[in-house]
Amino acid sequence: MTVIGERVPRSDGQTKVSGEAIYGVDYAEPGMLWGALLRSPVSAGRITRLDTTAAAAMPGVHAVLTAADAPDVHAGWVLRDQRLFATDAVRYEGQPIAAVAADTLAQARAAAAAIVLEIEPLPAVVDLVRAMAPDSPLVHPGWESYVPAAGPDFPRRGNIAAECIADPPGVDEAFARAHRVISDEFVAQRQYQAYIEPKSAVGIFRDGRYTVHTAHQFPYNVRDRVSQFLDVRPSAVRVVGHTIGGGFGAKLDASLEPYAALLSKVVGGSAVKLVNTRTEDLLTCPCRENALTRLRSAVDADGNILARELEVIADNGAYSGEMPWLASIALHCARGVYRCGPTRVVSRLMYTNTAPTGAFRGVNGTYLYHAVERHMDHIATELGLDRRDYRLQQLITDGAEMPNGQVLADAGILREGFDAVESVAPWAELQAGRRPYRGIGIGAAWWVTNPMPGTAVVKLHEDGTVAVITAATDNGSGAVSMGVTQIVAERLGIPPTDVFVTMPDTDVAGFDAGSQGSRTTRIVGKASQLAADEVVEKLRGVAAGLLEAAADDLEVADGTVRVKGVPGNSIPIAEVAVAATNTVGPVQGTGSFVTPFPDFNPGCATGLMFPSFPTPTYHVHLAEVEIDPVTGNVRVLRYVVAQEVGRVISPDGTYGQVMGGVTQGIGYALHESLRIGEDGRYRERTLESYRLPLATDIPRVEFVPLEHPDPDGPFGAKGVAESPVLLPAAVIANAVSDAIGAPLNHIPIIPEDVLAAIQGSAGDVRSDEEVAP
Amino acid sequence: MSDKLTVSMTINGHTYTADCEPRLTLADFIRHGCGLTGTHLGCEQGVCGACTIIVDGRTVRACLVLAVQADGSTITTVEGLARGDELNPLQEAFWANHGLQCGFCTPGMLMSATEFLKANPEPTAEEVRECLSGNLCRCTGYDSIVKSVLDAAQKLRA
Ligand code: FES
Ligand code: FES
Repeated sequence: MTVIGERVPRSDGQTKVSGEAIYGVDYAEPGMLWGALLRSPVSAGRITRLDTTAAAAMPGVHAVLTAADAPDVHAGWVLRDQRLFATDAVRYEGQPIAAVAADTLAQARAAAAAIVLEIEPLPAVVDLVRAMAPDSPLVHPGWESYVPAAGPDFPRRGNIAAECIADPPGVDEAFARAHRVISDEFVAQRQYQAYIEPKSAVGIFRDGRYTVHTAHQFPYNVRDRVSQFLDVRPSAVRVVGHTIGGGFGAKLDASLEPYAALLSKVVGGSAVKLVNTRTEDLLTCPCRENALTRLRSAVDADGNILARELEVIADNGAYSGEMPWLASIALHCARGVYRCGPTRVVSRLMYTNTAPTGAFRGVNGTYLYHAVERHMDHIATELGLDRRDYRLQQLITDGAEMPNGQVLADAGILREGFDAVESVAPWAELQAGRRPYRGIGIGAAWWVTNPMPGTAVVKLHEDGTVAVITAATDNGSGAVSMGVTQIVAERLGIPPTDVFVTMPDTDVAGFDAGSQGSRTTRIVGKASQLAADEVVEKLRGVAAGLLEAAADDLEVADGTVRVKGVPGNSIPIAEVAVAATNTVGPVQGTGSFVTPFPDFNPGCATGLMFPSFPTPTYHVHLAEVEIDPVTGNVRVLRYVVAQEVGRVISPDGTYGQVMGGVTQGIGYALHESLRIGEDGRYRERTLESYRLPLATDIPRVEFVPLEHPDPDGPFGAKGVAESPVLLPAAVIANAVSDAIGAPLNHIPIIPEDVLAAIQGSAGDVRSDEEVAP
Repeated sequence: MSDKLTVSMTINGHTYTADCEPRLTLADFIRHGCGLTGTHLGCEQGVCGACTIIVDGRTVRACLVLAVQADGSTITTVEGLARGDELNPLQEAFWANHGLQCGFCTPGMLMSATEFLKANPEPTAEEVRECLSGNLCRCTGYDSIVKSVLDAAQKLRA
């Protein structure tokens, strides 16, 4: 009996519904001290006074640290542009300036507040376009001295933290002979990951090494960042993972961990715990970047796109994190999934005096697809074409070559996606059933399955159960608690309840590139499958002697090793395990896996490159919305997704990712927004003002999985989790624009904008009634 | 230093007595004082609902109440739902219907739904959504949570 594609209870379900699960914020050590950070109250300024004397003398305080107490180094994921504490300049609100360890959290916070801090404020660099001007103040006057964390330097200068440019021949010529040139500008605001568990960390310095306990998506990255900041080799840092209360990309880089580690060292080895308040968390989270995207297309009379120009200016915030190499994603999204002539792409990432931005599910893709798919609607409307027909006419097919030279052998799946959506929500019927203030939108995308390496050890216990030792994290998706568990169970012919997967520990499990880019089921699943295969081989070898049969004639199934075709001739795995332990030694297997990058043209662009999209997946979304013309509120009535997944390993997990990802996308489209004031500070500062989707806001997503198993994936699996967030902003914006008859090109689409658009286009609204003034 | 006050309350059938700071929240008393970390803190501001518990039969946000205000009360937290290792029907339903991903919102969801189902044994999906609209979940998109509550309601009626 197979467990692949079957509903199985998630292995962490019992602990999570009973309240037993220990999350990062719950973790405690005996004799633990509490830490707190003093953070900059302003976005830009010069520290003129920093006096910790009074704070250090307060009750319960064990240590107060500033830049003077930290190694004199710069650290960073891609570019080493960051110090642990601000030295003289502060560059964003919330930047750590000092850290305190005390007996209680209240004492630590009181001492942090008692540190004397004076800052001479400077004008904040906030506006992305002005930041590019030659006379703009520089966020980092010393930018030239920064070095990449690895590899050669990349194009960057002044406030431009990274630049990626593709300029193929023929663009200007095509624009010169175009039937029409269609231009648009799009603005997208920041989105906060808003996991419900705030960040925390416990640091321990013992035996000359640092141990950090944290609930993290990428423990090995924490190891590397702590080692950079504290100027020790990576193996001097051990990171132990705990149950994680959501991350969505925001827990891929270190945050509180290096502070907790250093505080522990300074206080003499006692564990020190730091926990963000929700406001600290919101202010300093590497949220989805705000961006300005300009698109121009040269089209002929039939709507063929002869050439295109895409310019995107995205906000890096004050430090670089992962962003510089993500700037190149624009190259992969510039055409969307449609045929298009030579495509010029200029992607720039700007330093500003705001919190550093970072990865959020669907990195860069959410606003790029919003731009591309809004633009497709614009072209279709200008040319008087049906928006769906136009897309089908221009859709790429098998063998399409993308701007980076990558060839998509299976892009024809997109057509299946449109057909699948059509079967659930026929376009013509939706059009025919139109009512005032209702609109529909459709859009499509392709996306990557993160290829980065992973490894697993499958260790057989003498009772026939197995442990899977891996540094992979289940961020909640079920990729480990169902996916990896099912894959190992299937391979070994044992129930999923006999598979136990460890929590990450960098001292124990090999490198894993973290819970990102939908990689865990595919990469760690494959590594675990290979490891299980080794266990199977060993079991057959030992059982051959016990069953007096050739190893080749044996199979491992139903909890036994048995002679193929002779089910009666079998031994329970547990017995083989015991025999093996006492004869050849304990049985375990190891597997490692990484997906190679598909071929691409390295000369297609300049700049740091995410070179190509391994294990591509394809997506078609449709939304129907209704607008309240009095309040301007938008309600999503229907949401349909067709998505290529390779093969469904866990139906609950797959649907859960689609439903959850679309919900985040609906929030992004309609109300989630970290607005930045002129002073560089966020206007939203709590979960009260940062409005998340509620149970009453979201319809059940209608989902059609498309399955084209990937021969390299475990049982055919491709990535699933990240991409559902890519298209909601695009198709909802298209649907709202359709309903009103006027383009809405800013996200989120807030009621004020909707009302203004209704008033502005009163004559065009497809309404049978008189539109209220 | 403020003087400590002695508080005593019954949580999940056990009596807890402790001296605590007047400003200690009930959530911190439960999490740190009693070691019951199943009550989660997502905002400490009354917005997310992760800290929802039942005090004298009614749901309360433990981050908004002081421990001293709960002196003498009878409290149920998520740890009090199961009988030993045996999950209650609502917990079972959340597990069976994939009503959780990261699970950080789950204790609050369970406690809100517990109170709700007592008053509304036969709810519609819309009523469940209404009831849960004060609990934030960032992972699931709520659909599986609604399904879990409806499933539990049906099992409890049977
Ligand atoms: S922690 Fe109490 S409502 Fe959020
Ligand atoms: S399951 Fe993660 S917040 Fe609800």
